[in-house]
Amino acid sequence: MILSIYNFTLLTDKIHSFLSAHMSEEFVLTTELVLIGLLIVTFVAVLAMVLIYTERKVAAYMQLREGPNRVGIYGTGQVVADVLKLVLKEGITPNGADKLMFNLAPYIVLSTCIMALAPIAFGNGLVLWDLNIGVLYITSITSLGVIGILIAGWSSNNKYSMLGAMRSGAQIVSYELSAGLCIISIVVLAGSMQMSEIVNSQADGWWIFKGHLPVIVAFIIFIIAATAELNRAPFDLAEAESELTAGFHTEYSGMKFAMFFLAEYINMFVLCAMAATLFLGGWMPFHIGHWTTFNNVMDYIPSPLWFLGKTFFIIFIIMWFRWTFPRLRVDQLLDLEWKYLLPISMINLLMIALMNILGWHF
Amino acid sequence: MIASVFYFLSFVSIFFAVMVVVSKNPVHSVLYLILTFFSIAGHYLLLNAQFLALVHIVVYAGAIMVLFLFVIMLLNLNAATEPVKSSLMKFAGAIAGGSLMLVLIAVLSKINSIQPAHEVNTQIGLIKNLGKILFTEYNLPFEVASILFLVAMIGTVILAKKNPHTS
Amino acid sequence: MNVVIALTITGILNLFGSIFSYRKITPLLSIIGLTTAIVFNSMYWNTNQSFFNHMMVVDNYAVAFGTVCMVLAACLIIFYNRFMGDNDHHLPEVLSVIVLSVDGAIVMVSYTNLLMLFLGVEILSISFYILAGLKKKDLGSNEAAIKYFLMGAFSTGFLLLGITLIYGATASFDLSVISEYVKLNSTSTNYLLLSGVLLILVGLLFKVAAAPFHFWTPDVYQGAPTIITAFFATVGKIASFGAFYRLFQMCFSPIVNEWSGVIMVVAIITMFIGNITALQQKNLKRMFAYSSIAHAGYMLLALLSHDYLGGNAILFYSIAYGISSMSAFIIIHIIQTQTGTDEAMGFAGLVHKNKTLAMITAISMLSLSGIPLTAGFFGKFYLFSSAIESGYVLLVCLAVINSFIGIYYYFKPVIESYFKDSITDDVIKLKSVETILLIFLSIATILLGIFPGLVPAI
Repeated sequence: MILSIYNFTLLTDKIHSFLSAHMSEEFVLTTELVLIGLLIVTFVAVLAMVLIYTERKVAAYMQLREGPNRVGIYGTGQVVADVLKLVLKEGITPNGADKLMFNLAPYIVLSTCIMALAPIAFGNGLVLWDLNIGVLYITSITSLGVIGILIAGWSSNNKYSMLGAMRSGAQIVSYELSAGLCIISIVVLAGSMQMSEIVNSQADGWWIFKGHLPVIVAFIIFIIAATAELNRAPFDLAEAESELTAGFHTEYSGMKFAMFFLAEYINMFVLCAMAATLFLGGWMPFHIGHWTTFNNVMDYIPSPLWFLGKTFFIIFIIMWFRWTFPRLRVDQLLDLEWKYLLPISMINLLMIALMNILGWHF
Repeated sequence: MIASVFYFLSFVSIFFAVMVVVSKNPVHSVLYLILTFFSIAGHYLLLNAQFLALVHIVVYAGAIMVLFLFVIMLLNLNAATEPVKSSLMKFAGAIAGGSLMLVLIAVLSKINSIQPAHEVNTQIGLIKNLGKILFTEYNLPFEVASILFLVAMIGTVILAKKNPHTS
Repeated sequence: MNVVIALTITGILNLFGSIFSYRKITPLLSIIGLTTAIVFNSMYWNTNQSFFNHMMVVDNYAVAFGTVCMVLAACLIIFYNRFMGDNDHHLPEVLSVIVLSVDGAIVMVSYTNLLMLFLGVEILSISFYILAGLKKKDLGSNEAAIKYFLMGAFSTGFLLLGITLIYGATASFDLSVISEYVKLNSTSTNYLLLSGVLLILVGLLFKVAAAPFHFWTPDVYQGAPTIITAFFATVGKIASFGAFYRLFQMCFSPIVNEWSGVIMVVAIITMFIGNITALQQKNLKRMFAYSSIAHAGYMLLALLSHDYLGGNAILFYSIAYGISSMSAFIIIHIIQTQTGTDEAMGFAGLVHKNKTLAMITAISMLSLSGIPLTAGFFGKFYLFSSAIESGYVLLVCLAVINSFIGIYYYFKPVIESYFKDSITDDVIKLKSVETILLIFLSIATILLGIFPGLVPAI
């Protein structure tokens, strides 16, 4: 199989054997952990910058503007300038705040997001921790972010923060249900919760093509739920600036604010990567039936590129939403989840289970 | 290695559990409780039950505790609203709890050889084995549990819903 | 097994009552469902079937106790419009909670696996917490629900910890495996097992409201809607005793010497606290709460008997106690709605207001206090004789003394209704179905008092 030319297990094995030849076992473990940590930090920093730049440019083009265009080539330096500004700003802790909680909250939010990156398959053999319940791991870890948000809102001792945290908590807890059901429907089809297994099950076609209408419905619901879980427009009631100033992070400034900001973008990446892995085949290249030549050409594109391409496509869709739909009211938001999305995704899950038992998918 | 991790996790879970009771601020109590749940999830991991560990985190830390935080934050409880308990009650409580602890510690200290009573299947905590055993051997409890949840759901609806005739 | 399925389907059908607008007939539907379940249940008599890898076994014991619970629940549903009050809107939901709670009772009397015991206890308790808080605008009812919930959840923790320790000792949840293990190791002291037994005892003693775990009972019984209190005092108590006796008789009888002391002390304390405190109560619901504590004390005697005699005794006592306290609570409710008071003086001159009701009051009180020619007498007789045969003479003497104390307060309402003048002269009118039911319960009390052989041996 030609896929093996981009198999990253060879690379990682080589590094491991190289380190083992020179050090004791504990040192190898430590060095590898440090290397992975460095990789993650770099990846997260670069990712955030790229996403901020993309967000601003996409927004600009949708509104027939130029967007950032002064600092650096095509305004790419603008992001660096923004980051520098946030880092250098003073971080203020309000007097009435619960000091410890107030300063702890951004770290909780950020660390849960970064932890969720662990089981994501970035490419063929490029997984940090391919545990056998990877999908469940991601859902459980992302659900913890709510705690950080609630703490942030409560400890700020500000009514806007509190209201924003409440709204965002209610929203995330509600939409997690239908997102979870959509994830389960793919787990039913793939027969595993392991990320690599799910990707491998799509070697002969992505689930969105193989699974007929139910999988498409699940995909759409997952995208809607992901948008809501990210508190992004049209579900951005938690930080509705016309009513709540800035929601739960009203009182945060400087680096602590930057961490919330960062966490939001990493979360977006994680959820979109989930969608890409579950429905669009992860790093699997695009194949069409027996067009061997076409398929071979596709195979020559490295697997991380496929993965990132799909993920950024979904991120683009979510950014597109922001400038397309008006913001919902709270009651509309909860109605949408509990009265429409949840029943639909439950029935959909049953359909998919039926389809899987009868073997009706390709 | 495993033993020291076990002792560390046990210490952490007991410490945070005590902090839940001791801390004055209810919100802090809830947060300590979340940490307790985390350390218990760590125990599951030690037992090679990764699925249970994660479900424990999702259900307790992710869902139940979030609702808990919601309620406690809305109630705006603080040290001032805490009811004053008489020292007699505290004394009685301490004696009752202390006796229970004494009995349990006495019992546990008598068990000098801790051996698994039967052959332990270390793979039982993995999701595939767990699913198999739930749908074969423990099928009936699994189904009966649904009645329990149904009752609880009906109950919440009855108690929480406003009566349209009176209001 | 069919019983559980029939009850669950009835509960779910009730839930659809609001959507498909047949809510008016949901009481009838529930009674039909319960009747079907009773028929299914009686078909299991003498079959001794075991279900699903030995999770549940339907032996005669389970059939008998299950039938008692279901009959009592069906009696209760006939009075549905009396406990709904201003909650009329939720009728289908409340009925389905009641029907599903009977499901829990069935599981509790027929389990052969500790997991099923736990699930049964939880189903029953959670429905009880909900039912206790049915009067949403009433502070007493709210207090009852919260108190019951907090205490009940705490005691379930003990039960669960006990189950865990027993699993640690025996490596099984299965009652037959546990009993084999206990039989083999009955000579040596197994501390893990014993502490597990102790903690399970705490959990179950709470559920049957035995002292010193009885503090929730008066408040909950007083605060809950009266007909619901009848449900707690009958179905709840009988199912809990069914579970209690089954576990201790099947598994832990070889080590009876280890726990009989605890049961004896608890039984003595329970009887005395229940009866003596009941003497001082003005509020009838509170008085009956304490009297039900005292009854739990008598029933604990059966646990000490060595053979299956105790099972028969506890069954007969459950039936006798169940039907008489069911009718007693129903009458209290009727008087309460009529006169607005739930103290004994509300009964004053009842004989002038409604002769049948006064008669029924007298019969049920006689039966509860254990006067001959009523079911209560033979209930106590069987219980005490089973305890004597196992050699607990002193305990039985104390229990007899307690029965005499009990007579004093049980006669209060009877004396009020026959020998006092009423405050008002208005006649109490009942629906014919309610009167028929009450008469039926009284006839059953007297019949069992004359022909105790009507209850089959198990």
